[in-house]
Amino acid sequence: MARRNIIALVIILVLFGLSLWTVLPTKGENFLGMRLGLDLVGGVHLVYQAQFPEGATGEEKAGDMDRALETIKRRIDKYGVTEPVIHGEGGERIVVQLPGFTDIEAAKKLVEQTGFLEFRHVELNEEGSPVYLSDYLENTRTEFFDEEVAGTRLFVDNDDNPVVFLDKDGAGNLSFTDGTGNSIDLDEVKRRAEEILGEDVPGSWALLSWIPARGDDGTQLTGDLLDKAAPGVIEKATGSEYQIDIEWNEEGGIIFDQIAKRIYESGSYGTPQRSLGIFLDSVLISSPQILESEYQGKGSITGNFTMDEVTRLANLLTSGALPMPLEKPPLYEEKVSATLGADFIDMSLMAGLIGIILVMLFMIVYYRLPGLLASLALIFYGVLVLAVFKLWPGGGVTLTLAGLGGFILSIGMAVDANVLIFERMKEESRTGRTFGAAIEAGFNRAWTAIRDSNVTTFIVCGILYWLGSSIVASAPVMGFALTLFIGVAVSMFTAIVVTRTLLRLFVGTRLAKRRSLFTVYSGKK
Amino acid sequence: MMFDITGKRFRFFLISGVVILIGVISLSSFGRLRAGIEFSSGSMMTVSFEQEVAHDELRQELAGLGYTDAIVQGTEGGNFYIRTDKLSEEEKAELTNALTAKFGSLEEMEFYSVSPMVATETFWNTLWACLAAAIGVLLYVTWAFRRMPKPFHYGTCAIIALVHDALVVLGIFSILGGILDWEINLMFITGILAVIGYSVNNTVVIFDRIRENLSRGLSSNFEVVVNNSLVETIGRSLNTSLTTLIVVLALLLFVGASIQNFAVVLLIGIIAGTYSSICIAPQLLLIWEKGEWGRFLPWLPQPAVKAKGG
Repeated sequence: MARRNIIALVIILVLFGLSLWTVLPTKGENFLGMRLGLDLVGGVHLVYQAQFPEGATGEEKAGDMDRALETIKRRIDKYGVTEPVIHGEGGERIVVQLPGFTDIEAAKKLVEQTGFLEFRHVELNEEGSPVYLSDYLENTRTEFFDEEVAGTRLFVDNDDNPVVFLDKDGAGNLSFTDGTGNSIDLDEVKRRAEEILGEDVPGSWALLSWIPARGDDGTQLTGDLLDKAAPGVIEKATGSEYQIDIEWNEEGGIIFDQIAKRIYESGSYGTPQRSLGIFLDSVLISSPQILESEYQGKGSITGNFTMDEVTRLANLLTSGALPMPLEKPPLYEEKVSATLGADFIDMSLMAGLIGIILVMLFMIVYYRLPGLLASLALIFYGVLVLAVFKLWPGGGVTLTLAGLGGFILSIGMAVDANVLIFERMKEESRTGRTFGAAIEAGFNRAWTAIRDSNVTTFIVCGILYWLGSSIVASAPVMGFALTLFIGVAVSMFTAIVVTRTLLRLFVGTRLAKRRSLFTVYSGKK
Repeated sequence: MMFDITGKRFRFFLISGVVILIGVISLSSFGRLRAGIEFSSGSMMTVSFEQEVAHDELRQELAGLGYTDAIVQGTEGGNFYIRTDKLSEEEKAELTNALTAKFGSLEEMEFYSVSPMVATETFWNTLWACLAAAIGVLLYVTWAFRRMPKPFHYGTCAIIALVHDALVVLGIFSILGGILDWEINLMFITGILAVIGYSVNNTVVIFDRIRENLSRGLSSNFEVVVNNSLVETIGRSLNTSLTTLIVVLALLLFVGASIQNFAVVLLIGIIAGTYSSICIAPQLLLIWEKGEWGRFLPWLPQPAVKAKGG
């Protein structure tokens, strides 16, 4: 028995050491390296309702949702927010959480923005043939081929994504950039070009020089000038053909016809110079051929499209980069400043510390030596719970203010099992049992009460967790449910196993006979 | 020496009855339960002014801007909690600008805005959660005491005690709501559910002792068994409540305004729960066993008291 108890003690000490090692902060970590919720670090939490076109199937919605999430992620990544959380909820909602980012208006713009939609066409050289990136790289040009059209030249790869931008710098020299103002040196541009040429795609239109499509007065044709874009169907004998019907506003209609005329006359059907490049955030989303020299404000983009593609393109043209528009304003907005969050942490730490000290004092004064051992178990409890928080599946428990509240509450409840046991030990010793027998009887008899009573707390935690997962502003409820659950579960272990192991150390020692150390023995009779 | 706890059972019911009655009176007159924006939609913000701002002035200014229904509460550190109907982006900007113009620069510490759709959802889901908690507890307690002669009695008494706690908390909170403009928010509900778990936890410990004492054949008189069980467990009940109250008080005093609803609900709820687990649930069990329900309705002809069970 004694030997087994020593082994138990060693295991407990090792576990304590491991927990402590897990919990102790490494350099530069805030608050023990715990993952903190938005209410503690400050940040923005937005929930949007997606507006899917009527009759969209579940599969289409799921696909659109994935693309929308991807797009929002890309935009936010550009902003450099650390550990943003962006996910769909219930298939029709988008949740965006940006820890540490407290400018709620900027965050909303970032999510809601419709991408920059612009129209380009292919640059032509003096002979009227299309210009490629390689033409600029050979003999290192110092001038654009088409000096009449100012503005950035854009080169895309075989997947239609931007490779490099060519622009004039302040001094009027040509320079390659990444589109956000950072220059890319010539060797890097050559390396990228070679890589793409090496892909050897037959009939590839990659690395064409796309230049802004401008009206005669120099105005660039952009998404702002587009009035409408809707999917359309033409029934033909060979089957249904899908197309996108577009309508320009007044200014757009005029400019578009000027551009269309130029493109139409620049080459024969099927050549790159006959196509209009539609770019969204510098990604080439479509390059339809211009079939007429005049459209008078209306047109349609045809091609070998499926219904899906047509819907998606129409949506892109109207709502920008997101496959479906988001309802504005958001369903839920939350913003907490970083200073407020930091205050919460300090205040909770204070409350937790004072709470644990007072509980320990009470236990020691009331139960003497067993109370002291229960207090040691309580310290172990605190460290072990924090370690479990940190190691919880999915990167640890996200601590919120309510979660900290649940943890602090569980400190008070954690000694419950000890109180049950110690009271039981008192009773057992009153019936004349020895110290050792009283310990064993106390623990054994109290077990059913501890088990049955804690199950009710678990039921409530389960229901709270469900509630938290089913509502939008869920963080407080879920955080509380999870920390209380972990707290009560761990307390069953520490209060029972740890306290019992420590108490057993005293069985058979002289200390065990000192009645004043145990109110257990001084009990009223 | 033996304390007679069960003998005072009707006095206990009287005390509870009075407390609940006060709550009901408060609910129907001066008090109120105001739903937070989570349940009723709207916007709320906490702002921190650089200069000192008087509560009344801020309220007047808001009323002057058309926000006559706005709730304004001072929180610690000279911050103000302002709750309004749902603000659009423009309205919010206008409000902030107007306040800055009047009171000098301010920092928006917190901002929440909940749409009606989300609020309705939250309301119903919360209602279901509370119902589910009650049914879950009823089923569990009935199951845990399935080997007892009348397991359903145990479950039902635990539920009545739980409803008792909820009524006491709601009643007292309605008084606070009337005086201090406190709201029923999500933290409040979380607190209520935690109290439910806690209160039943206490009740189960006492029921467990009744179960044990019955199976040991302590006495053939059910009243003696219940009374003994209560006397044996009362030390534990009070001590556990005390340790929990200690940490709740620490939460209330040190964390303050942001979770005051939660902490106060726990405070009231733990006291009510401890009381009900000693003075309501086991006493109801006894009354049921003895067929004394008629004594709650003294104007009805009293049935002959049958000696049952034991």
